[in-house]
Amino acid sequence: MSRTPTPAQREAVRQAAHWYVRLASAADDGEEQAQWQHWHDSDPLHRQAWQRMQAAGASFGGLPQRLAASTLLAAGHTRRQVLYGLALLLGGGAFASLGWRSDLRREWTADQRSAIGERREVRLADGSRLLLDTDSAVDVRFDGQQRQLLLHRGRILVDTASDPAARPFSVATRFGQVLALGTRFTVAVDEQNAEVAVLEKAVEVSLDASRRLRLDAGQRVRFGAAGIGPVRDNDASVGAWQDGSLIAIALPLGELLAQLGRYRPGLLSCDPAVAGMKISGAFPTDDSDLALTALEASFPLAVRRRTRYWVTVTRRS
Amino acid sequence: MSAEPPALSCAVGALYVEHSPWLHGWLRKRMGNHCDVADLVQDTFVKLLKARSALDIREPRHYLSTVAKGLMIDLFRRRSLEQAYLEALASLPPAQVPSSEAQAMLFETLVELDHMLAGLGAKVREVFILAQLDGLPYAQIATRLGISLRTVNNHMAKAMEHVCLMQWDAGE
Repeated sequence: MSRTPTPAQREAVRQAAHWYVRLASAADDGEEQAQWQHWHDSDPLHRQAWQRMQAAGASFGGLPQRLAASTLLAAGHTRRQVLYGLALLLGGGAFASLGWRSDLRREWTADQRSAIGERREVRLADGSRLLLDTDSAVDVRFDGQQRQLLLHRGRILVDTASDPAARPFSVATRFGQVLALGTRFTVAVDEQNAEVAVLEKAVEVSLDASRRLRLDAGQRVRFGAAGIGPVRDNDASVGAWQDGSLIAIALPLGELLAQLGRYRPGLLSCDPAVAGMKISGAFPTDDSDLALTALEASFPLAVRRRTRYWVTVTRRS
Repeated sequence: MSAEPPALSCAVGALYVEHSPWLHGWLRKRMGNHCDVADLVQDTFVKLLKARSALDIREPRHYLSTVAKGLMIDLFRRRSLEQAYLEALASLPPAQVPSSEAQAMLFETLVELDHMLAGLGAKVREVFILAQLDGLPYAQIATRLGISLRTVNNHMAKAMEHVCLMQWDAGE
């Protein structure tokens, strides 16, 4: 029975919405009520729209108020804002290829490093692929017995090739070692921890002879001085950096800026008052100024650029 | 359940065989997570089957990636709602925590509601939630958000109009 409303019906709904609000906000005086009654009775379209409006108003009645309201408010930002961020990511294939540099040197002995804001792809001697995220440093130690990477700083993605000599492939960090079991995975290291996320197949994380853990595709784990943390599921943020984007899912602003700050020189920080604000969206890391602009456009935030290298994010007044 | 016209399911089947590995790769590059990717590939083709437009798609990959992109955004949005919901649940006094079945149903309702409010601006949405879900009087909302009562009224009217039309369009 119900088809999409006609323009005349839409207009009646617009008026009904005004009346709905007027009646809800007005002190209970007869005057307002009488005017509404007149509007209501003057046109069958008005009566129909009013019925719809009341049904719409009542349809939220059954929900547990606090729970529903706090969930929706905390999830904050509208879908459109998530979309805006994603549009930046998906819209231009340009981001995906920007900043990629291929290095096909077959022989190497020196350290591999990437500059701030750079991503570098390197083909290793065995055919494995190594992608370095911004500001990362890796030593490559291949010999007759093993294929080992030493990750000193930053984040890498490893896509291992099978080795005719069947040498094991591993990534060592100062917190522990990740042994590839034929696979694609990322390893990141910072001052306190390392984190490994498995994209394909599996890896084994080992801190020492007794603390070991097998991790399968779709899982990630942090490990550090305190041991191996709980296994968590990968989310969209895990693989995104290789495409030059940073995906945030309800990430506190302070943390988002810390991550984004790795892609740009200088100081990027925020007012402590907004550090906890939950941000979701996708931000281009190849152009972190564009990411900041997106942040400003989608959330109630202002980006203050004191100098090119000193940027602070505050609440928009 | 209505049977699909054979031509349609054939067309979708052909698209699936030819393009699903590509779509899989496209999504994996963007998401990294194996399980989600496989689900989204399936969902994309299910959507295609429901839309019944598979017979006249000129650029299948463009079309598939557009559909998959929409589904991916829905998924992200759902994840962030999920997180907010779990946090809200955790902050309730134990006596007020609903049963797990009720929790699940409520969450689905919130996802729908969130979707319904998606077209509104952030402030309009906030006013609507505070008034309609939290039950705050308009004057209190004005004080809390630091806007005039008149603005609260305008935002509310806009939100009610939107919600009413959404429900009407949805055939409720």
